[in-house]
This record gives sequence, structure tokens and C-alpha cells, in this order.
Amino acid sequence: MRNAAIGKFIQRFKNKEAFLFLVFLLLFALMSVISPGRFLTWRNLQSMASQFPEFGIFAIAMMVVVVSGGINLSITFTAALASIVGGILLSRMSAAGIAPALVLLAAIPTMLVVALACGALNGLVIASIGVAPMLATLGTMTLFEGICLNITKGGSIAGFPDAFLWFGAGSILGLPFPLILFIVVAVASYFIMERSAFGLKAYMIGCNPTVSAYSGINVKKVLYGVYLFSGLLCALAGLLMSSRYNSAKESYGSSYLMLGISAAVLGGTDIAGGYGKVVGTVIAVMILQVISTGLNIFGVNRYIINVIMGGILILVLGLNLIGSRGKKTS
Amino acid sequence: MNFGKRIVLLLVVLAVLTGSAFAQKKPTIVIMPKLVGIPYFNASETGANQAAKDLGINVIYTGPTTADASEQVRMLEDLISKGVDAICVAPNDPAAVAPVLKKAKAAGIVVLDWDTPADKALVDLSVHQIDDKVFGEHVWDCLVKEMGATGDYAIITGGLSAANLNGWIDAGLAYAKVKYPKLRLVTDKVASDEKQQMAYQKALDLIKAYPNLKGIIGMSTPAPLGAAQAVQEKGLKAKIAVVGTALPTSSRPFLEDGSLRVANLWDPSKLGYLTVYLANELVKHKKPVNGMDVPNIGKITILADGKTVIMAPPTDFTKENAKNYTF
Repeated sequence: MRNAAIGKFIQRFKNKEAFLFLVFLLLFALMSVISPGRFLTWRNLQSMASQFPEFGIFAIAMMVVVVSGGINLSITFTAALASIVGGILLSRMSAAGIAPALVLLAAIPTMLVVALACGALNGLVIASIGVAPMLATLGTMTLFEGICLNITKGGSIAGFPDAFLWFGAGSILGLPFPLILFIVVAVASYFIMERSAFGLKAYMIGCNPTVSAYSGINVKKVLYGVYLFSGLLCALAGLLMSSRYNSAKESYGSSYLMLGISAAVLGGTDIAGGYGKVVGTVIAVMILQVISTGLNIFGVNRYIINVIMGGILILVLGLNLIGSRGKKTS
Repeated sequence: MNFGKRIVLLLVVLAVLTGSAFAQKKPTIVIMPKLVGIPYFNASETGANQAAKDLGINVIYTGPTTADASEQVRMLEDLISKGVDAICVAPNDPAAVAPVLKKAKAAGIVVLDWDTPADKALVDLSVHQIDDKVFGEHVWDCLVKEMGATGDYAIITGGLSAANLNGWIDAGLAYAKVKYPKLRLVTDKVASDEKQQMAYQKALDLIKAYPNLKGIIGMSTPAPLGAAQAVQEKGLKAKIAVVGTALPTSSRPFLEDGSLRVANLWDPSKLGYLTVYLANELVKHKKPVNGMDVPNIGKITILADGKTVIMAPPTDFTKENAKNYTF
């Protein structure tokens, strides 16, 4: 009975994503109220706008793979490897006295290429050889981590030219560059996944790969495309991180794997594949960011913040489930 | 969706109304260790909180749960938004915190580093417990006293990017090259990331890989304990001398049976106290001077660069005196 009532409340919203947006506004307002004059400030908004893009790009990189019926556990180490290789170029070339513009021109495409290679490896193992995505990316994740550690011996790569810091700290017309990059990524991902033939095929494969194959879809090609795209996004996340932290290390971003999966799922993506909207993932990322920063500013203990994030994840997913059940019965 | 729209409007109005700034009377100082949860940094927290009480100011002692530089950066960004008067950080990686410290300075926040240095150009004061060169050389002297001036030894460090540990190790190695040329370092320093379990594991690996190992230096407080644990387990305490940076209370069981020969350190709670005290002085626009007497600490030294503060000489904790200390 209560379920039906909650279900009816949720049905007032056109879809899951609208409900999610309300949750975001509620949390944003709550955080502003509990830390008056400190959360809702231009400085904090800019600070959050610099923090969440690296996480947001990882979340989208995860989402595009999940909708195709797979999962990509290697996202963070793909980014780490790309940023470490790029970082070596940045520091060595910088130390050799080469002009910053040339250094950046060499290092950034290198990061993209390395990440695409990682994505291609994932595609090879998953699409061509046919290993289950979770196992395949578990393997590639460990492989990439090993390569990172072999290169860095556990330390970090530093010595980047000052110009490189602009990607993490610079802004255009008051908007931090990370935010601009994230907007570009989100819009591009929307068009690629939800408004193109390629994206439609990815969703279909996520629904049912066998039927898709028999319907004439080149499943191998689409999956390669999905993992390559995911890898490319990881390179961008790695670029943001190495600029913001002025160094590259294999452990940077490792927490974003689990958080990325949480954000994708919180955003309404079906973990089994076939459904997921970019806008949902974006709102979920903003929800998690607002909770984290809001509670940090309010002064809540580090350990409790994780508990709260987990609690909100369960709450929203539970409400979504009840809402969808409500739709079925009414 | 009229109802939904109404809620949204109400919330936005509420949020905007409460967005007005509140004046903060007591200065707020942030002390961020490399990580929270290890005895060394728990002890410095006690000192920092004591200083807060004595000086009547707010101290926020917070840090990541693992020795992760990127987590420190994110926490510092949020604390800058919170609006604090001073930030004192023990960076896991000085390069990683450079951008966020720049942001802090731009926001008019006093910036200090403590326990381990950040980029000198970015901080107003750099609080060291001890002169790095003196300390490094002293640890090597202790090692030689225990294992002799010839033989194989290894170094287990904390995080590979920690500038304080690297400073002591580099000073010690340079000293040993001249004074103890017959000492042989078997391999590059091994990381244990401030985890005793990892130090224990790495020590076991070293013992297995280098059967002629006669000494292990542990830098960072969990490292000598992990190494001592390994030596104790293998029954090699007579053969391998373990020395390093450790707290007297946690080292006592290892000191008593000889698996750890001597621990060199200082009182971390004093370091926490001193850091808060100096940060508060800077917030009040009072620059500390060389040789000034700090209550509960004693006379501090400030080096010629005007930025580096040295607290005091190190203390050796041995089987005999470890029980006299409470930290």
C-alpha cells in the first residue's frame, strides 16, 4: 500500500532522470543551508566545478560501456598509464629546455594514443576473443597497473611545465577549463550514444547481443568502438588529473572506479545493459560531488561521508525500484 | 508537475536567503597530516588540539585515510572553500599540492608545511622537527653502532614522494659514502606507504633475497616496526640490526626483545603544538624570530632563509628508556 503511494509520488516525474534532478536540487539546498555563506559562494561553485569533471568523465566512460552490456574495470589505470607516459614526456622535454608549447603538443596526443591503445586491447580481448568484459577488464586493469608501476617504481612523475597547469586551474570566461571539457564530453557522448546509429547499436547489443548479431549488426565493430571511446575519455580524465595534481602516479583516481560505477547506476543506467542516459549520469555525478564537498565544508568526519554516500545510493535506487513497480501495478 | 516546481522554488529561495556571509570570530587553522590513523599522526593531533585549547582558537585536524596525495588536494580545495585562516599540510607529494597551495595563497590563507616540506617558495613557514642533514647522519651512525661499519643493509621507506623521508635518506647516504665506505646498500629504497603490514612483507622479501643482510633502516614510523616484526618472526634479531624512526610506545615490544635496536624520533605532539602555535602567530601577522621561546616547546631555531623552523634535536628510544614516554 505504502509502496503504491511512494510509487505514485515518483510517477509525478516524467522519468527517473527528472526525479534524480529533484534529489540534486534538494541536496544542493540542504548543503547551502547547513553551511551558510560557505557552500553557496562563487568560489565554492568554481572549486566544485574543477573537482567533479575528472570524476564525471570517468563516470561517462563507465556508462558507455555498461549500456553495451559490459563493464570497464580498467578505466582508472588506463588514465593513469596515459598520464604517466604523457607525464614522462612533459618532464623530460621540459628539463631539456624545449618550448612549453611544443612539449604540450607532443605530450597530449601521446596521452590520447596510449589510452586508445588500452581501449583497443580491451576491444581485442572482449570483441575478438570473446572474454566476458568483467574478466577481460579485470585482467587489463592489472596489466596497466603493472606497466605503470614498472615505469614509476611506485613514485610519481613530476616536473611538468607551468603551462600544463592551465588545464586544471585555468578558466575561460569565468568557467574553469575542467568544466568546459566536461560539458564538451557530455554533449559529445550524448550525441554519440543517444543520437547516432552507432549508439543505438550499442544499446541494442546491451539488450541482447545474440538478437543484435542476427539482426545484422556488426557486434565486434560496435564493441571495439565502445571500448575505444571509453579509453579516449579516460585519457581526458587523466589529462585533468595530472594537471590538477601537477604529477602523475598510478594511484591517482583509483577511487573513481567504484564511484564511477555508482554514478552510472545512480544515474539510471541498467547494470545489465540496454538503458542509460548521459544526463542521468551527469546529474548523479553532481549529486555525489555536492554531498562530498557539502559535508567536507560542514565538517563531517571523512569516514562518515562514505557511509552517507552509500546510504543515498541505496535510497535513490530503492525509490526508483519502488517507482517502477508502482508503474507496473497501476 | 506544479507541486514539484513549488518545492524547487521554495528550496532555491531558502538557499539564497541563507547564503549571506557570517562573520567568524575565532581564527580557524587546518592541520593536515600525511594520513590519519597511525600513532605518529594521532600523537600530533593531541598536540594540535592542546594548542587549540591553550590559544583559544579553532583547529581542524583532518587528512586522508591513506597516504594519498590526490585525496589531500581534494580535501584542501574544499577547506579553502570553507574559508579558513591558515593551512598547515604535511604533503605526501610536494608537487601534487603545489597548485592547491597556490590557490590558498591567492585566497589570502596563511600556508605552512610541517613534518615534511612542500615547495619552499609557496609556504610562509616550513616547520621541521629536526635538521634533516643532522637526522639522516644520526640514523646512519646508529645503524653502524649496531651492525658495524661493514656489511649489507637495506632501506625501507614510507611513501616514495615524501620529501622529509627522502631528505633524511639522501643526507644519510651522502654521509655514509664518505664516512662508512664499506657499507653496502643492497637495493634501492623500498616503499611501504606508511603501512606496517607492507613494511613487514617487504622486509621478509629483503631477508629472503639478500641472505647476507646485516641491517635494515626503517624511515617513517610504521616501517621499522614492520621490519622488526619480520626479523622477530624469522628469529634473526641477533644477525640483522633494525633501526629507524618509531614511537617509543609502539616500539617497546620490539626494543625489549632486540628485534628493533634503537628508535630515533621526537615528540610528535610537540610538533603538532608548535605548528598550530606558529600558524596562529602568522594569522595575527606576527613573524616568528630565531631563538624565540615557544611555551611548552622551548627555544626554536629559524634558519637563514627565514622560513625553515627547526624544533629540537632528536631523541633515541632504547630498551632502557622507552617506558618513560607516553607517545
